[in-house]
Amino acid sequence: MRVHIVREPADRYSIDLLERNYRLRHKIFVDMQGWEAIRRPDERDIDAFDTADSTHLLLLDDGELVGGSRFTPLDKPNLLQTVFSDLVQGEFPASPSLGADWTRFYVRSDRREGRRRAPESAALFCAMMEYALFEGYSFITFVSTIYMLEHGVSVGWHITPLGAPAMIDGKPTIAAWIEVSEQALDNVRRVTRQPAPMLALRGLTRRSPQPPAIIRH
Amino acid sequence: MNADLMSTIEALQQQTDSAGILEIMYDAIEDYGFERFIISGLPDRGVDVRPFVLLSGWNDEWYERYTSLGYVHLDPVARNCFSTTLPFDWSDAPFDREADLPARRVMDEARDFGMDEGFCVPIHMEGGMQGVVSLVGDTSELDDKSRLELHMLALYAHGQLRFLNTRRTDLAPRRAITSREGEVLKWVAAGKTASEIAAITGLSQRTVNQHCENAQKRLGTNNRVHTVVEAIRHKLIAL
Repeated sequence: MRVHIVREPADRYSIDLLERNYRLRHKIFVDMQGWEAIRRPDERDIDAFDTADSTHLLLLDDGELVGGSRFTPLDKPNLLQTVFSDLVQGEFPASPSLGADWTRFYVRSDRREGRRRAPESAALFCAMMEYALFEGYSFITFVSTIYMLEHGVSVGWHITPLGAPAMIDGKPTIAAWIEVSEQALDNVRRVTRQPAPMLALRGLTRRSPQPPAIIRH
Repeated sequence: MNADLMSTIEALQQQTDSAGILEIMYDAIEDYGFERFIISGLPDRGVDVRPFVLLSGWNDEWYERYTSLGYVHLDPVARNCFSTTLPFDWSDAPFDREADLPARRVMDEARDFGMDEGFCVPIHMEGGMQGVVSLVGDTSELDDKSRLELHMLALYAHGQLRFLNTRRTDLAPRRAITSREGEVLKWVAAGKTASEIAAITGLSQRTVNQHCENAQKRLGTNNRVHTVVEAIRHKLIAL
């Protein structure tokens, strides 16, 4: 398994991968999880935040797309501060330029079966922390059911709510931020037993202009 | 967002052992009218629950009885965790009082131990693993907001305990230098020469140098300064 970073300008392979990502997302979020609000007749899940500003982390196993996630810088238009702004009552821990909004996390459902901690989501968790450190982010925001709090904390992440939980479509939902640190990466790698880097960062330039966050040990 | 809950959540994530979490949980649930609690994984049918228990804030006698007699497999509250993702009152866990005598026995005995009411938070982990955070106490005054807050609190506590459990098993073999080497490195870090360290510790100067060289080898460093820096960085010595 490896995680492929896709963002503009994308090469041909990445464009094809992104297309598969949109179709798989529609299958998972609309058909299976019932997010009717984003249903599209062309069966591609593309919203207002799939823009040149966003970065996609796509998990491939033997060339097959099995999972993904999207990051949108918080100083650019993002899902958290538009669609879910009601869930945010607290302050960000740092300037929005030091954070990104994490959305559309998924693992293909046939990869979630059986009694095990799925290596697919572990790989994506590791990759997202690697990526955030690479970009020099100091925090990652997300909106999710509150069950994510348990998953994140159990891999050694420090997670702080941005507001009170609320029931959305019958599900307890929260906005929160995850602290980005070397410690957080060490923890998730150790807990999920995936010590090797998941991302091929060579040749990739950092998106944000400011220096990387101070690496803490 | 409730300020007390925010500080409880922060405190839970700062804890490095389950004793700390026990104290915080007792304090936190008291504000919602609960007295005792348990945090545990739920084993497959017939499997002993004891290795799955993350933290018990139960009465010892009841804990002993419940775990040794396999009550987890009879208890309708535990059973109901498999059929819902949302928290529920114990009294809402369905069972047939007439036909399901073992379940009735567990519920009746719990009542004898003063545990007739409670609030149960099922925890669904990845890969179908099932856990539970169960609070003992009266739920009649609990509003929706409090229920949601307790749900969150339970998720944080369960997550932190799981994290500490994996850390406990992984950390032990990682100690890279001996305590004697650590002691010598601390004096090096304080600017002492080998002869001064020898005088302070009562070791010979040769032994002091030997300790430094051994630590250097273990840490794969190039010289004394580098060794001290790495030892501090990996928190092998504290200044």
